[in-house]
Parts: sequence; structure tokens; C-alpha cells
Amino acid sequence: MNPYILAILLFGLGLGTTITFASSHWLLAWMGLEMNTLAIIPLMAQHHHPRAVEATTKYFLTQAAAAATLLFASITNAWLTGQWEIQQITHPLPTTMITLALALKIGLAPLHAWLPEVLQGLDLTTGLILSTWQKLAPFALILQIQPSNSTTLIILGLASTLIGGWGGLNQTQLRKILAYSSIAHLGWMILVLQFSPSITLLTLLTYLIMTSSTFLVFKLNKSTNINTLATSWAKAPALTALTPLILLSLGGLPPLTGFMPKWLILQELTKQGLAPTATLAALSALLSLYFYLRLSYAMTLTISPNSLLGTAPWRLPSTQLTYPLATSTALTICLLPLTPAISALLTP
Amino acid sequence: MVYVMFMFLFGLVLGLAAVASNPSPYFAALGLVAVAGMGCGVLVGHGGSFLSLVLFLIYLGGMLVVFAYSAALAAEPYPEGWGSWPVLGVMVAYLVGVCAAAGLFWGGWYEGAWVSADEFVEFSVFRGDIGGVALMYSAGGGVLVLGAWVLLLTLFVVLELTRGLGRGALRAV
Repeated sequence: MNPYILAILLFGLGLGTTITFASSHWLLAWMGLEMNTLAIIPLMAQHHHPRAVEATTKYFLTQAAAAATLLFASITNAWLTGQWEIQQITHPLPTTMITLALALKIGLAPLHAWLPEVLQGLDLTTGLILSTWQKLAPFALILQIQPSNSTTLIILGLASTLIGGWGGLNQTQLRKILAYSSIAHLGWMILVLQFSPSITLLTLLTYLIMTSSTFLVFKLNKSTNINTLATSWAKAPALTALTPLILLSLGGLPPLTGFMPKWLILQELTKQGLAPTATLAALSALLSLYFYLRLSYAMTLTISPNSLLGTAPWRLPSTQLTYPLATSTALTICLLPLTPAISALLTP
Repeated sequence: MVYVMFMFLFGLVLGLAAVASNPSPYFAALGLVAVAGMGCGVLVGHGGSFLSLVLFLIYLGGMLVVFAYSAALAAEPYPEGWGSWPVLGVMVAYLVGVCAAAGLFWGGWYEGAWVSADEFVEFSVFRGDIGGVALMYSAGGGVLVLGAWVLLLTLFVVLELTRGLGRGALRAV
């Protein structure tokens, strides 16, 4: 892509999220979200492949519908209460509409159907931007609204964790697996939103780090399905040894970073008297863990001295920067002992 | 006057159902013309004559005309209007849905004529809508710049998406 256009689009992406972060008025927040949607559209369609264009169209339609619902809900709130402040919405009707609109924006079940297909149509870098950066602005709004309906949020959360787990079980394409993993993690974030927004923020940040590691690993290995992943030992042996830890961190196993949010969420849910909900969420994490284990098995547990799964590819020098991957991998594996410091930093 | 407003709003919903019933793009554009015209009528009735004029000129006279020319480039031999049963059936279904929703919300404090926002109505020159536009250019400086930037961004987005003429993804006909 023309570097000037790329610069303008990336600037628009950054500006959109910044505007939504900095706004206290619903119109300005909506403008930031729309700018994000607009700026990423050419990035998604840059390869001009029909699959990419289809993914772009689906993304645009769902995000535009969500933004229109958000605008409608804010105007309804202004009509009913005269209030345009983001943190001052108290009427249940606009609050529920805004919650559902933002759920469609980030891909929570049952509004998740677009996410696997859209991620599948993109290359791994754009998929990374979609899974990480594009979640920040809607979450800035989600963390600020006063939730009205407890049941809605818990249903959104549990449905997302279950659908994220079950949906990912039958996938061989890595981008779809990461999409369902995203849905499951978003479910965990929404579960605890009404009780402790700082834990939601912590979950979001750890998820961003873990999924960045995963996307960057797949990008380095140039693999988009499980078969290609199986030959990654020839391309990057050290990474092949480390990736199971990244995947198990995504699955939420101690002593890795991914355990931190799950532990805090289960503790908070139990303290609030929702032990069956906590149990159900913990059991649904087993579903996700199964496909993370499957990826680890295909990638690492079948290397030498087992028989080869495929012909070893050429070991060509990679031009990818490895510094971001090194940083995010270190954070994905080693951040658990810092749990008290991190939760203290994120509590206002 | 209230009845004129109601007729405009009925026409608006009718036009929306006509657009949503999936006819050929030419007929859908006709539905949009109806919707925009009725919407302008509602705006005028509430004192927003300037906004109504701007809507007519820019939306109908600019954007819809461009859309009509683009749709004409992708002409189809047998366009489906509301004379064909699939389209008419969907439109009737949508209208039934609208009546059901209206029945659900019937009565209550939000029924009745709406009140316009500016107090002096016909006795002032500086109406609500014109005042708002003036404020946008004076006190709303930063947001105006932001709006202009977003329009420029949209231009670059569209140019990038349609890059490549016959070899790109969105091809020129």
C-alpha cells in the first residue's frame, strides 16, 4: 500500500481510539468508533482478494449497525433524560441498547457470528490489529457505563465462554481458533464487569498481550492452519518450545499469566454469591483448553524423535522484527507473580 | 397541523418499508426520496427549515443523484418493483411488524404531538437549527475540524478501496 495512505489510515486508527478514550460525550465517543471502523476498512481489503473483500464487507456492516444502535441509544437517552454524559446514563432502555451495541462491536455471543469469518479473511497482521486495537475503544465505553441489567451481562458472559469453547473445537484454521478464543475471553471480561471493572480491565490487558504473542508466533511461522503449524519446528525451534506455554497461558493455566484474570474473576464471582456461575465459567474454560492443547500437541509434542509429520520447509531468514514477540512472550509467561501490583495499579 | 405531521411520519415509515422490502436499487432510491422528502416535511413542521433545505440539496440532490447514476451503470434487464409478489410480500410483512410494534408501545406518556425545541418559533429570526449550525462553526471549532478530517479520511478510504480499476477487488463496470 502507498506509504502515505498507510500513514493516514494508521493515524486515523490511533486518533479514533484516542477520541473515544478522551470523550465524556456520547457523540464524540461515537465519532471515535466510526473513525476506527473507517480507517481499518482499506487495511482489511488491501490484498484485493475476494475473501478479504467479503470479510471487509461483513465487518463494515456489523460495525456500522452497532455504531448506529449506539447513536440511537445515546439520542434516546438524551431525549428521555437530557443527559449526554457517558457515565450518567441511568435509564435502563438506553443502557441495555448500548450494552448490546457494544457487544456487537466486540463480538460477544450471541452477537459473535461475524468474528470467525471476518478474522479468517484477513492476513495475520490485520487480524492482530482487529483483535487487539479495535477492542480498546469499545471497552473504554463498556467500562464506563453503569450496568442496569445484571442478568443480561451474565448471560452475555456465559454464552460467550461456552460458544467460544464449543465453536473452536471443530476448527483447523488458526485464525478461526483465535476468533473463538477471543469470544471466550470477552465472555470472561463481561462476566465480572458489574462487580469489578478493574478486573475486566486487567483481563482485557492480559488478553491483549497473550493474543499478540499468539498472532506474532503464527506470523513468524507463516502458518494459518494446524498442518502448517506442525512444521514450525524447522523454522523457529526455540519458539516451537515456547509456544505451548503461550497457548496454555491463553487457556488460563497456572503458573502462567493467563491464570491471573481467571483466578481473580472466579474469586470475585464467589464473593458475590454466584458460585454456580463461577463453576460454569470454569468448566467452559476446559473446552477452550482442549483446542489450545491440540495446537500445542500439533506444534511441539510431535517433534523429533517422533516421525515427521510433513516435509521440513526451507529455513529462510525471516525479515520480521522479533522484539515485539519477545516482549509479549515474556509477559505472557512470567507475569503471574505481579498480580497484586497489577490489580493495585488498575484499581482507581 | 398535527395531522400533517402524522401524515408525513406515516409516509416516512411507508417509504422505509418500501426501501427495506428489497426491490431493485432504482425503486429503493425512489423509496429513499420519499423518506427524505417526508423527513424534510417533519423538520419544517418543527421549525428546522434550514436543515430541511440542506437535507434536500445535499442528500437528495447530491448523494442520491450520484447513487442513481451508479445504480444505472449496473443495470439489470428485469428490475423488480413493488408490482412483483416477493417484494410486495416483504413490504406487507414489514408494515405488519411496524403495526405490531406500534401496538406494543400504544398509549403512555410518549404518545401525542411532539414539541419543538425553540421557544419563540415564528417570532424569531434566529431559529434552533440555524443557531446550531452557527455554533458549530464558532464554539464547536475542534469538533468541526474533526468532522472535516473524518470526511477526508473517508475520501482516502474510498479511493484506496476502489484502487486498481479493472484489476482491483471492487471493479469498474
